Amino acid sequence: MTIPAPPPTAQPSTGRTYPARFISRGRLAARSFYWLGWLAFSRRSVVNSGVEREIYVLGIGALRLVAASSLLVGLIAIFQVAAQLAPYGAEPISPRVVTWFAARELGPVVVALLVVARSSAAIAGELASMNATGEIDALRAMGLDPVKYLVAPKLLAVIVVLPALTIIADALILGGVWIGSTVFLGYSTDRFASGIREAFLTRDLGVGIGKSIVFAFIIAIIAADEGLSAERRSSAIGEAATRAVVFSLIVVLGADTFVNAIFYFIPGLI
Amino acid sequence: MQYSTSYLDSSDRAAVLRVENLTGPMQGAVIHDVSLAVPSGATHLVMGPIHSGKSMLLRHIVGLEQPLSGRIYLEGARVDDAIDSDTQLRRLRARLGVVFEGSALISRISAIENVELPLLEHSDCSAAEARETARELLAEVGMSEVADWSADDLVRSARRRVAIARALALRPAVLLLDEPTQGLDGHAAHEIDDLLGELQQKHGFGVLVFSHEVRHAFGMASDIYVMADGVIVARGDRTALGESDNELVRQLLHRRGTTA
Repeated sequence: MTIPAPPPTAQPSTGRTYPARFISRGRLAARSFYWLGWLAFSRRSVVNSGVEREIYVLGIGALRLVAASSLLVGLIAIFQVAAQLAPYGAEPISPRVVTWFAARELGPVVVALLVVARSSAAIAGELASMNATGEIDALRAMGLDPVKYLVAPKLLAVIVVLPALTIIADALILGGVWIGSTVFLGYSTDRFASGIREAFLTRDLGVGIGKSIVFAFIIAIIAADEGLSAERRSSAIGEAATRAVVFSLIVVLGADTFVNAIFYFIPGLI
Repeated sequence: MQYSTSYLDSSDRAAVLRVENLTGPMQGAVIHDVSLAVPSGATHLVMGPIHSGKSMLLRHIVGLEQPLSGRIYLEGARVDDAIDSDTQLRRLRARLGVVFEGSALISRISAIENVELPLLEHSDCSAAEARETARELLAEVGMSEVADWSADDLVRSARRRVAIARALALRPAVLLLDEPTQGLDGHAAHEIDDLLGELQQKHGFGVLVFSHEVRHAFGMASDIYVMADGVIVARGDRTALGESDNELVRQLLHRRGTTA
């Protein structure tokens, strides 16, 4: 008898169907919610300390990116809006327009897209790598639910981090607007401040934070699902990360469109 | 030496872990008619080339795969029958300590929290008791100093030691080790072998090692099963296997000190 040759390399996956993805994510979401409940009430510390570290990695680690991007987005927005309104003589209201748009739209969407780009791939890649090396199976073999120990802490961390980053982003977008409107457009700080006072409503901030919580669920569940369902080969890790980013972007923007359509078509909501 | 697929004899009936004529998994058999037994306090080795079916056998023993036929007994209870019952499977898994290839520690938590996990999950002990037990286990494997380090920050040999401590947390009847010294240098690998020997002597659990590293056959294992193409092609101690005229066994043992 000779030593048998290794089997051929696994064929690339043909991919799951969209209904299969939908069902898988639904199940994962349900299981994650169950463990989120457990996390909220359990006094056992292990998973909770995992959440703290996830918050650090996903939140604190993203601060620099979010801060720099938000400031620049504020500047870009004030230039664009001022340029568009100038022909109608409405340039002076541009800080007000951007402020309103920042709280409702720019803040949550910019942060969601940045977190997708930075963390969605990381979450999917980490879980796919654990899957490829058999570590997920190892947890199952020890009677430890991977959703409880790996997915729920990440989900909770993203739910905490995204609204917090959104509030920071809102403030820094306004900072960008202030710099743009005072330094480059020549408005006084008083005019900027009065525009902000008129436009910045707590309700708008609430809508933005509400959206960011929805986006957090979408990002964490899609990334975790793609990671956990990755095939056991090294190239599947990159593929899972890419799919997580692509699907998260589409679903986040789709969800945002849906929310905006509701606000637009239902009178009185906006 | 016989080359039958059944290598159990009457003395194996009392073994703490017994696999009888196992064929699986259900969705397409990879291992065929595999039988083995691990008595309490003994160290057995399943040796074979990569892709010979060792990992699939391990997956069956820990209840990750449903067999097509055959039986797996752990302390007399059927593992293969428990697959459909979460409660039963959890109870049986608590009696198995598993150290997977790559250690499988949860990276975002500390070494001591990794060791606490099985205690918090499978026992009624308080968080303080779990912490104390985990501390003692880490001391036993010589990892007290890195107890509070994140698992991510540990070197490979330290991860392996912490994984052994975690596997021992529930005082298992059998310790299963998948490629326990894979990726370690010779010195670290021998230290792990020595550590396992000491722990086994102290706690008396059975050990089943799955490895393609031939050197294990010349170390701790009292009984060696040679696996190829999903079947066990030979069983014996190292003397018996050394006299084997099976070409695979000869090829494997000829490469002593290297990998198969």
